Amino acid sequence: MSLDFSVLLLFQDALVLGLWTTIKLTLICVVLGSSLGFLVGLARTAPSAVVRGIASVYVEFFRGTPVLIQLFWIFFCLPLILGVELSNLASGVIALTLYMGAITSETFRASLKSVGREQMDACIALGLPRHVQVTSVILPQAVLRAVPTLLSNCVSLFKESALVSAVGMADLMFVGQNISNNTARPVEVLTVVALIYFAIAFPLTRAVTLVEGRILKKLAI
Amino acid sequence: MTSASAPLVSIRALHKSYGPHIQVLKGLDIEMKPGERVVVIGPSGGGKSTLLRVVMGLEKIDSGSVTFGGRPYISSAGAGAKTVIDTEVRRSIGMVFQHYTLFPHLSVVQNLVLAPCKVRGEKKASAVRRAEALLERFGLAAKANAYPAQLSGGQKQRVAIARALMLDPKLMLFDEVTSALDPELVAEVEQVILQLAGQDMPMMIVTHDMWFAKNIASRVIFCAGGVVVEDGPPEQVLGAPREERTREFIDRVFHIKQ
Repeated sequence: MSLDFSVLLLFQDALVLGLWTTIKLTLICVVLGSSLGFLVGLARTAPSAVVRGIASVYVEFFRGTPVLIQLFWIFFCLPLILGVELSNLASGVIALTLYMGAITSETFRASLKSVGREQMDACIALGLPRHVQVTSVILPQAVLRAVPTLLSNCVSLFKESALVSAVGMADLMFVGQNISNNTARPVEVLTVVALIYFAIAFPLTRAVTLVEGRILKKLAI
Repeated sequence: MTSASAPLVSIRALHKSYGPHIQVLKGLDIEMKPGERVVVIGPSGGGKSTLLRVVMGLEKIDSGSVTFGGRPYISSAGAGAKTVIDTEVRRSIGMVFQHYTLFPHLSVVQNLVLAPCKVRGEKKASAVRRAEALLERFGLAAKANAYPAQLSGGQKQRVAIARALMLDPKLMLFDEVTSALDPELVAEVEQVILQLAGQDMPMMIVTHDMWFAKNIASRVIFCAGGVVVEDGPPEQVLGAPREERTREFIDRVFHIKQ
């Protein structure tokens, strides 16, 4: 068989639009999802067993089921239960935000835990009131420690976002599949789409290693 | 009793356990006068560090009481009762820990000014001025903007001491502050503490370094099994102990040191 990549040039604009949708969706869900994840991470270290329990059920459920089923469930079942039609954009955002919330809550929980008891002792010995302990000592360290894993979480989300094509959202994956079907050139088209994903995800994963080294060096005491 | 000889710290019948089976302090009575430098020595697990942590208000107690400067400070009625700690009193006590416990995300000077600014509402500029003066005094002027990870153990511990002093404590607690240090860094930290001793800062020190204990103590307490076994001037407790258990401990420690 002969490969002809030139066919892709015809669909340049469509691919760019698809990529833009993917990036927008990822950015929205990174912001919403990690904010949710931070709150859930706090809830999972809360003194109340009820709060901890609810947070754990949510996290374990979303970590223990395929994202594709979560997405389908929100797209097909949630409208039946609520009686309102959800756009495919809305279901995509809801599903990926809940997914991101679950995985980043684990990240935040671990980083909150890593701010050890000795730091708390120091806070008390210095007479810092509770709100100052949280805002000036615990939060900055927890967030700083969470950054490398959070970046990895973002890379995962960026890749998982391809699933929204399954509910008809015109993201990069969806556009790629369409072009591939219409041109009957799956090898060329899907290879290029994969390379586009890689070209964005790879530098991000390298950045994780770099940032991690810097933060570990700074926090090493 | 005149106010000059009134105790600074008065610990009465202090009991403390971790869980139902581990009793660490079994009825401790200690009275400390203003200006005294009390060194607490004794075998590991004897309750020395716990005693300091209780005085700092970091631990719940089972029963007993602590008063500070004549004011009730820590108390518990016993048998599952709540430990009541007067946080106002707690602010006049400073503590330095074995593992430095500096805030790693803040620079040296930020570590020093955090509490004065947030607790006492001191203006940042004035706190920074005081911090720089303290760092200068401790030979750390060049490190004001460094982060803890960029410092040696000895420097970190001197910063930790400076940080505690920023709040003008009326009593300083030192909990094995040189135990985590490389041997060649011990002296620089001990020098700083000796410098404070020269200014009559009351202090309670837990240490394994008998040379340091001898040099700094105005009084030595030997603590073992959760009670005070011997209590007296350093020449007595370290030099010619009256109690058999103290003598055994001192012999063993000095033997190892040779």
